[in-house]
Amino acid sequence: MQLLERYLQAVKFWLPKEQKEDIIAELSEDIRSQIDEREAALGRKLNEPEMESILKQRGRPILVANRYLPQEHLIGPVLFPIYRLVLKVVMLCYVAPWTVTWIALLIFNSGYAAKFVGHSWVEALGYLWASLWSTAFLAAAIVTLIFAILERVQLKNHFLEEWDPRKLPPVNNPNVISRFNSIVELAANLFFCVWWTAHVSSHVVFNQPNLRISLAPTWRYFFWGFLFIAFINIALAAVNLARPYWTARRATFRLVSDIAGSILFCWLLKSNLLVEIAGASISPAKAGQLTAAINLWMARMFPVAVIFGVVIAVVNIFRIVRVSAPQTHIPGERPAMA
Amino acid sequence: MAVLAALHTEQYGYTLRKIMVDHGIEIDEGTLYPLLRRLESQGLLTSKWREEQKRNKRFYKLTAGGKQILEQLLNEWRSMDSSINSILKEYGHATSRTVLAGR
Repeated sequence: MQLLERYLQAVKFWLPKEQKEDIIAELSEDIRSQIDEREAALGRKLNEPEMESILKQRGRPILVANRYLPQEHLIGPVLFPIYRLVLKVVMLCYVAPWTVTWIALLIFNSGYAAKFVGHSWVEALGYLWASLWSTAFLAAAIVTLIFAILERVQLKNHFLEEWDPRKLPPVNNPNVISRFNSIVELAANLFFCVWWTAHVSSHVVFNQPNLRISLAPTWRYFFWGFLFIAFINIALAAVNLARPYWTARRATFRLVSDIAGSILFCWLLKSNLLVEIAGASISPAKAGQLTAAINLWMARMFPVAVIFGVVIAVVNIFRIVRVSAPQTHIPGERPAMA
Repeated sequence: MAVLAALHTEQYGYTLRKIMVDHGIEIDEGTLYPLLRRLESQGLLTSKWREEQKRNKRFYKLTAGGKQILEQLLNEWRSMDSSINSILKEYGHATSRTVLAGR
């Protein structure tokens, strides 16, 4: 019976204070009734293994006690899917940019990269993780805390039960072009054209008494090239505004325009465009160094620009494939047309 | 509902569980005792400690409120049973009783 007493004591430890004695008295009585019945059937006292088997069948003390406790949770099933989504977004917004910045530092900052000379990539990743985890942990803790508070408020106010079907987001159709986006694109390209022709039409892009910045004669190709692409974008945005859904033809135009812009930009980075920086307060030697440094940095940005260009092209190709695929017609919306 | 039905006559936990098991409802102690406490806190059951066979036992019995709730639950159960049977009759070509009998 000592084993039974030990079991009851272990269960008692986890029970709510005001109910401890009552629950233990009833549990004790129930187990003793079971023991009595077994002993009557066997015609003898139970031995230790048989006693152990009865207690084992009852379950681990903390689990037995847990069934008497009110059901509690830090974040309940109603808020948990939102919590998980927010946590993913926060982690993605933090971890992804941090990792990209770190890789960029490794590639472009020779001083930073020198720290890892002679180390394996596993050690380098360990270094990244060491500097990453504390802030990631803090971000996760803050999100958890906010949701734990929201859970308490939700239990009291049931604010999630108040909702309006009219406020549901519209049916998501990726082939529909937002008119707002088209207006922004139109305005941005118009502004760009005005600014571009007014300020950088000459290869001397800045000409003030105390500062003069000159570009190479090849600048005229870039000037006209970017201006031409901006005109195409204006035309495309205007058509998209009038007919706000993607077609295979317009998606192809966008692909061509974006590829042309990317190629032009990549060429610009590699063309040692900056020829002269001259200023009253800068010595010619210093200005020469500065010019060389800017051209060098532009050239170093080339791989990043290529990566961005490829990503943009892939997104555009994906859009063409999506538009060309057979569509499920959504009532009230115009289907995408080739 | 089964627990409420069995407590028309006074029972203590151990005998109540045996009644359940004898009628084919497997319920372990870890589920039964917390359930009895919840039903008591809702006013559907009443309990008192009493000595029987030289041991203190806690006896449970249905209250008037418990009887009323049991009646409501039984009505819902019968209505649900009849609905399922009518669906089975129309689409399953058998009643729940014949389905159960075939198992």
